[in-house]
Amino acid sequence: MDLTGESTARREAWRRRVLSLAAAVGVAFVGLVGQLWYLQVLEGVKLQELSERNRIRIRPVAAPRGILFDRNGLALVDNRPAFTLSLIPREMEDRDTVLARLSVLLKLPMRELEEALVRVPPDSFRPVRVRRGLTLEEVTKVEERKLELPGVVVEVEPQRVYPTSTFAAHLLGYVREVSDEQMKQGRYRRGDMIGQSGLERLLDEHLRGRDGGERIEVDALGRPVQVMRREEPDPGAQVITTVDRRIQEAAERAMAGRSGAVVVMDPRNGDVLAMTSSPAFALDRLTGNLEKEEWLKVVRDPLTPLMNRALQSQYAPGSVFKVVVAAAGLQEGSLTPMDRTYCNGEFHLGKWTFKDWKKGGHGHVDTRSAIVNSCNIFFYQSGLKVGPAAIARYARAFGLGSPTGVDLGGEKPGLVPFLDGRRRGDGRSWQSGDTVNMSIGQGRLLVTPMQVARMMSAVANGGVLWRPRLVQRVERVDGTLAYSSSSKMTGRVDLSPVVWAFLRHALSGVVNEGGTGAAARIPGVEIAGKTGTAQSVAKSDSAKGQDHAWFASFAPAHDAEVVVVVFVERGGKGGQVAAPIARQIYQAIFLEKVAMVSLGGDG
Amino acid sequence: MFRMDRRLLSNVDWPLLGAAFAIILLGVVCLSSLGLGRGGTGLAWRQLMWVGVGVVALLGVVTFDYRSFVRAAPGLYLLGVGLLVTVFVVGRAVSGARRWIHFGPLTFQPSELFKLIFILTLAWALTWRREAQQTPRGAFGWIILLVAVPFVLVVRQPDLGTALVLLPVLGAVLVGVGVRLRILGALVATGLALMPLAWLTLKPYQRERLFVYLDPFRDPLGTAYNVIQAKIAIGSGQLLGKGISGATQSRLAFLPERHTDFIFAVFAETWGFVGCLVLILAYGVLIVRGFEIAVGTREARGRIIALGVTALFAAQTLINLGMVTGLLPVVGIPLPLMSYGGSSMVVSFMALGLLLSVRMRQFQ
Repeated sequence: MDLTGESTARREAWRRRVLSLAAAVGVAFVGLVGQLWYLQVLEGVKLQELSERNRIRIRPVAAPRGILFDRNGLALVDNRPAFTLSLIPREMEDRDTVLARLSVLLKLPMRELEEALVRVPPDSFRPVRVRRGLTLEEVTKVEERKLELPGVVVEVEPQRVYPTSTFAAHLLGYVREVSDEQMKQGRYRRGDMIGQSGLERLLDEHLRGRDGGERIEVDALGRPVQVMRREEPDPGAQVITTVDRRIQEAAERAMAGRSGAVVVMDPRNGDVLAMTSSPAFALDRLTGNLEKEEWLKVVRDPLTPLMNRALQSQYAPGSVFKVVVAAAGLQEGSLTPMDRTYCNGEFHLGKWTFKDWKKGGHGHVDTRSAIVNSCNIFFYQSGLKVGPAAIARYARAFGLGSPTGVDLGGEKPGLVPFLDGRRRGDGRSWQSGDTVNMSIGQGRLLVTPMQVARMMSAVANGGVLWRPRLVQRVERVDGTLAYSSSSKMTGRVDLSPVVWAFLRHALSGVVNEGGTGAAARIPGVEIAGKTGTAQSVAKSDSAKGQDHAWFASFAPAHDAEVVVVVFVERGGKGGQVAAPIARQIYQAIFLEKVAMVSLGGDG
Repeated sequence: MFRMDRRLLSNVDWPLLGAAFAIILLGVVCLSSLGLGRGGTGLAWRQLMWVGVGVVALLGVVTFDYRSFVRAAPGLYLLGVGLLVTVFVVGRAVSGARRWIHFGPLTFQPSELFKLIFILTLAWALTWRREAQQTPRGAFGWIILLVAVPFVLVVRQPDLGTALVLLPVLGAVLVGVGVRLRILGALVATGLALMPLAWLTLKPYQRERLFVYLDPFRDPLGTAYNVIQAKIAIGSGQLLGKGISGATQSRLAFLPERHTDFIFAVFAETWGFVGCLVLILAYGVLIVRGFEIAVGTREARGRIIALGVTALFAAQTLINLGMVTGLLPVVGIPLPLMSYGGSSMVVSFMALGLLLSVRMRQFQ
């Protein structure tokens, strides 16, 4: 026995304190019993009647989703009323018969109907959505047989409608009913429509709004007696994007039938005016009821329509990268505008021979004409002079190898392979041959179209790297601001003004002086740009059309308002394939100017 | 220590265990009447499985001298805080809250276990300075810190219910060890002063619940709907209840949490006022026995454990019943030994084990 000599007084004090605590608990229990007495005995009859007679049914009223606008106030996506077929489990007395009838009537698979009901309790009053976007004909069929179909209701709900089925698909993204996986996050109610990709997903919180609901009093048989209370839904907020619908449409038209991406950016502030990725997926097909086979078809399509090539495809930049090499050389002094060389179409390094894209070579070239005609031999030599460290440093300064930070997620970072004097980034040692390859943008160098757009913007605006901006602001229905973003500078390339001027002048020559980008030329607008042809496999035969075509450009050359980057997968040569596409886009952008020049020309 | 003394067995508190098992039985019957889960009575069977696990846990706890737990308290405390932190790292979110850690198909809620660690820590912190049966002065700074860290972690999960249960336990233990009213008053005042701060850390849904408590018709489709329906369910049970087949209100999909936090509403509708009295009596016996054990214990650590565990049961029961009957705002607290849930059940059994362990070694 271990009493530790506790005094009787202490023990008595402890006893007293514990008992007073017990008394407090006792009082609380008495209060509780009092409340039960009140509810069950005093109010019991009333509440009993309530539970017997008045059952309350909740009918959700979906909030219309917010609308996305372009920078000029044109809608990119809109809503329209659509019919939704729902089932109320509680009211389906003979479930199997009702489902069978419905299945035959609307030619719906029985399995789909049963699956929809599996997840809810059989006595629930909440309507379960089975199919959205019923045709008027289907609605009529259901309404005609209403009496034979207890528990089947057709409700009107707002649904997304798109200008065309694939319009800005990757940018906008598709909307779809919340999946089982997403339900687990606990933020959604079953049947909610939520953004699954693109801006619809990014801004879902704002766009979704708040569903309203009706409390309906129903009798014991489930027939509505009266609407007790109706809470109006709060419509979703409106999104004003930076996109210009006209340019977006032009870019998509120009890319029709091709694989690749286009990014149009304002170099003065980083606003993304258009962003396309093709092939695109059909937004409206993914939104509604999708058969599993159809979904798998989209997912397994070898052309990967779900991938946003503007942000997620990483390819060698090809000769577009010569801009970076030239910038590095000129600024560091290892290259001057006066440098000359004779190009015979071949360059020897040890036992290796590197060839120019043009058989027989370009003859005498200087720095400017090497850019204009995209002479590889000149840049092989320059690359070795400038050195891989400086090239890699400038490439990174121009934002290559790191994500642009654009609002949409899933962006790929690209790769600038040179780490230090010894390693290539993959552990193998860096060779002079790697430098030679990198000087013309080949090898393991990887970029995304968005990165190239940011880089060309920097060339156009004198060195400022902007964070690409897609969303200007989000406005609630009452006009207050829910979100706004301003242009953000994420980096700066410091080159002397003379070097910037030289680069712009040379790039203008590419288009306007019969260089490799001549196919982009438009009279009346001075476009500056650089073509690129990325070999998909080293030393492959480029004639087979396996090369990726680049054209990165801006206009007007000396006071740029817009940057256009075109990337065509397996398109062929940049000058032949990508440049004409860019030309089409410029025509749409500078519609008035072009028209004026051609009028002047005619007159 | 591992050898069970015969004398120990003679000190097993049968009324306490009897009350506990009566509550469990009523709870399982209630769960089986809901017909929830796959295969109708699935929930009831799973609950019984957890009871089995709980009994094993109880035996495990009883085998040890509770003083060895108190000695291990600093370690357990660090482990518990570690687990609470782990929840943020690997925990999976359910209904917007990160409270659970997953081991394959099993989920485990560290904040449940922490309730016990909390009590053991209090016992340790209030006695470690001297072996004497006296409360050291100046230990309160310590204790505030020991309480604050896990409290903040639990609130951030967010699991307001568990956090709120820790406070009355702390209060009861402090009153028990004879903290002067002045100091207690100061603590309460500090707590009240921090309320606006707490408000800032609350999640929107938690604020909404408090508003709903003040104005039930604020959100008739959401939380308040639960409260209204729970009241109708309880009230319509009247004096004698509707019986299992007649309890329509509960079987409708009106009460989303009807197998967990709101199970009392189902019980009250089924068995009426008389049934409720029986259930409350069972809880009463359990809690009264707990207080008696606390009074009868002479050893300081045992006293604090007995009082803490009893306060834990009383607080959980009162807050849950108060919430379901509409006396208190809705915070997520399960009804101990009755609500469906593995962590809660096993931890309740471990708590009973601690209580029994103290009782069995009362006269050592």
